[in-house]
Formats: sequence, C-alpha cells, structure tokens
Amino acid sequence: MPIQLTSQAYCKMVLHAAKYPHCAVNGLLVAEKMKEKKKDSHGEPVLCVDCVPLFHGTLALAPMLEVALTLIDTWCKENNYVIAGYYQANERTKDPRPNQVAEKVAARISENFSDAAIVMVDNSRLTMSCFEPIVHIYDHHENKWKSREVTFDCFEDWSEAQKITSALLEGRSYENLIDFDNHLDDLRNDWTNPVINKSVLDLC
Amino acid sequence: MLSNGKKMASVSDMYDVGWEEMRDKLRKWREDNCRNSEQIVDVGDELISEHSSKLGDDVWIIYEQVMIAALDCSRDDLALTCLQELRKQFPDSHRVKRLSGMRLEALERYDEANKHYDAILQDDPTNTAARKRKISILKAQGKSAEAIRELNEYLEQFVGDQEAWHELSELYINEHDYGKAAFCLEELMMTNPHNHLYCEQYAEVKYTQGGLENLELSRKYFAQALRLNNRNMRALFGLYMSASHIAASPKVSAKVKKDNMKYAAWAAAQINRAYKLAGHGTKESKCSMKAVEEMLESMQITMS
Repeated sequence: MPIQLTSQAYCKMVLHAAKYPHCAVNGLLVAEKMKEKKKDSHGEPVLCVDCVPLFHGTLALAPMLEVALTLIDTWCKENNYVIAGYYQANERTKDPRPNQVAEKVAARISENFSDAAIVMVDNSRLTMSCFEPIVHIYDHHENKWKSREVTFDCFEDWSEAQKITSALLEGRSYENLIDFDNHLDDLRNDWTNPVINKSVLDLC
Repeated sequence: MLSNGKKMASVSDMYDVGWEEMRDKLRKWREDNCRNSEQIVDVGDELISEHSSKLGDDVWIIYEQVMIAALDCSRDDLALTCLQELRKQFPDSHRVKRLSGMRLEALERYDEANKHYDAILQDDPTNTAARKRKISILKAQGKSAEAIRELNEYLEQFVGDQEAWHELSELYINEHDYGKAAFCLEELMMTNPHNHLYCEQYAEVKYTQGGLENLELSRKYFAQALRLNNRNMRALFGLYMSASHIAASPKVSAKVKKDNMKYAAWAAAQINRAYKLAGHGTKESKCSMKAVEEMLESMQITMS
C-alpha cells in the first residue's frame, strides 16, 4: 500500500530540512489507524496525516532514538495514529539516497506496520517556491528499498501542499519548528508543533 | 534594499534596537560560535551598510563573521563585498586568503579552493585553518574515508585540538565505527573532565555499540554526566534506558538486576518530575506527560 502525504506532513518535513540546512535531519511519519483491515484495501494509499521531526546533526546514535520511538508510539496510541514511515534529509545536497540509519529505523517501524515507507528529501531541489515535490519515496520490495515514481497522487492535495509550504518557508516559520532534539534541550518545547499546525490550518 | 527594489523593514526598526545592541549581539554569536547565519546576515548587513564608521576596529572581524554567514545563505553578493573590504585592508593576509578559499568552496569550485589552501601551507606549513578547510572539502565531496585519514594525520601533529577530536568523533559515528568514535570522546573527556556533554555523548556511543559491558559503561557515563549537570535530559533518559536494559538482560546476576532496577526507578521518577516542572498544564504538555508515564510503565512491565 503506497503512502500519501497531507500538506501538514509534507510542509513540516520540508521546514525541518530548511531549519538546519547544514545538518542531516530525520523524523517519523504518522497515519491514522485503520479500524479493521478491509479485504479490498490492497492498493489503497495510506494517508500520512502528520510527521514528528526527530533529530538534526548526528543521526546514528541509538539511545535518544529509542526514547523518541517509544514516546511517540505511546502518543500515537492516544491519538489513534500509527507510525507509518520515516523521513530523512542527508547532510550533503548531492546525496538523496537512504543510508544505513534510514534502513534500520524503517525496519524497526516495519515490525509494527508492514507497509512502512522511507521518504528522502532531495536537498538539491529545495527552493522557496517548491513548485515540484522534492521527495523520493522508497518502498520495501524483496528485501530491498526501491524508489517509487513521485506523482501528485502521492499527496492528498499537491497544490495546497505547495502553497502552504512555500508560504511558510518565505515567512521563515522553520525558525519555530520544534524537533525532538529541541525538546530534549528544553522540555517545554513541544514536538507536536501546535503553533505550526495552526499556521497550516489557517492557510488551508 | 533588496535587489528587486522592495524596501524591507530594517532590523533596527523591527526590533527597536540601536547599532550598539546589534554590534553586541554579533559579538555574543561570535563568542558562542552560533551558526544562525540568516540572523547574522540580517543584523550584520544592516550594521555594515549603515554604521560601519562607528564600529572602529571591530568592523574587520564583523566583515569576516558576516562573510561566512553570507556564504551559508548563498548571499555571494554580500560575501564578496565583505571579502573585498578585507582584501583591501589586509592584502597579504593568510586569514583573508582562507576566506577567499571558503567562498570558492561555497561555489563548489573545490580545485581552486584547494590551490588557495596549498599556497597558504607552502608559505606556512603550520597553518591549521588551511588544513582543516582541506579536510572540510573532502567531507563536502563525500570522501569520508579520506577525510578521516587526513584528520587522523592532523591530530598526530596537533594533538590538543579539541574541535578536531570532536569532528573526528562525528565522522566515525557517521561511518558507524563506534569504537573509534569512543576513543576520540575519551580524549575529549580526559582534557575536559567537567564537560557533561562529552560524557553524555560517550555514553550514547557505548550504548549504540551494544553488549552488556558497553551498556554498563554507558550507564556509568550517563550517571557521571548527570552529576556534572543534573538538568541534562539526554543523560537522564540514557540512564533510564541503559539501566532498564541491563536489568532486563538474562545474563546478569540477581544483585545486578536489582541494582539496575533501582537506578531505573530513580531515573523514571526524575524524568516524571522534570516533565511536571516543565508542563504548564496545557493540553499538549499533559499529553506529553501521559506519554512519558505510559512509556516508563510499559518498560517496567517488560523488565519484571
């Protein structure tokens, strides 16, 4: 089942990458939990309604990642979400491929969600206007992560996502984006990003 | 003024600050080595265009700071302006030549940049800044193995360079060579025994390496980081996680299990307390707190 991104999920990912242009960043994608597995649900896209920005800088250390995964998993249960995917933007602009960290986290997510996807942000195409989607989506087939063609169908509403992301980038909203690292630096920083979520809603 | 003729609100208008405060802000960012390049460009650009005569000798270090920030923001126009002022004032300076090299790096003209740095090193083989720029170029080009090799060679000569040891530890972590990353952090801890961040990073590396011995070491160093700074949340969470994993391991004695459960319980109580202190009773922070409590409870279940 391929994933689809809402405007909120997409723009927060891009804002996270824009906030730390000199670092690698990563985060989790969450989807609404399906009530029952419908028999004909094959091929229906999984809608990722939100994302949680995790870390910037060094991504390859385990302890805080474990804390984040457990905490966010608990938060998901409260909100009837499930962790459905993982996103990452690498440190170097010319390097859009998923690395060992991405594959490891995605494998962990797959234990609870069989169709977990990896979304890689293509830094080299990050612009203010974002006329085109700047993500690569990878699905797990036959033990390998394969890139899928990204079309406007990968978004709930691409023109809305483009408009909102562009507006928030121009307004430098990324300065207020909170990731899990920011939360660990000061617990008052809220990684659910209510302020940004509200801005997104206001622009819809 | 922006190049398209639109007049933007000035920093001094928007934030009601005078030029002295802007100058002081820039100094603080220099001292703290912040990489908030967009802000530095906003403040510095205005300070330079409108108040350069008042800055005295500070103007040169501000040109340097703003130039580097401008490179970060792809403002080559601003970077070149600063560079040209510096070149006029200090025509034969290696420090300025290094800035020229950095501009070439920003434009991805790495071969030319390397030539600049090689010229500096020919003149002055002990110039550490030029050597580090050459290593940064390797990093930018994705040549991690070479960057690591060069940085190791550099450290054989300049064994006290802490920034370099830290950079090397990060390069090793990115290559998943946790053993060597730990060695670099050990060097840093030896020379900076009161630095809680190095202790905590070392603990994280040990934890990632895995295995019972490394977990116990990681727990000890998370605890040490907490002794040095009892508000380090990463150390607190790390202590909780490492103690919990040790207690849950089938390979430990009953006493070790009991001790670690005690450490984990203590850490859990501290974590809960920290969240209570931080939360202001808002809906979101209540959710966060609940999530933390449930997480701690669920881990207790797996341990017992």
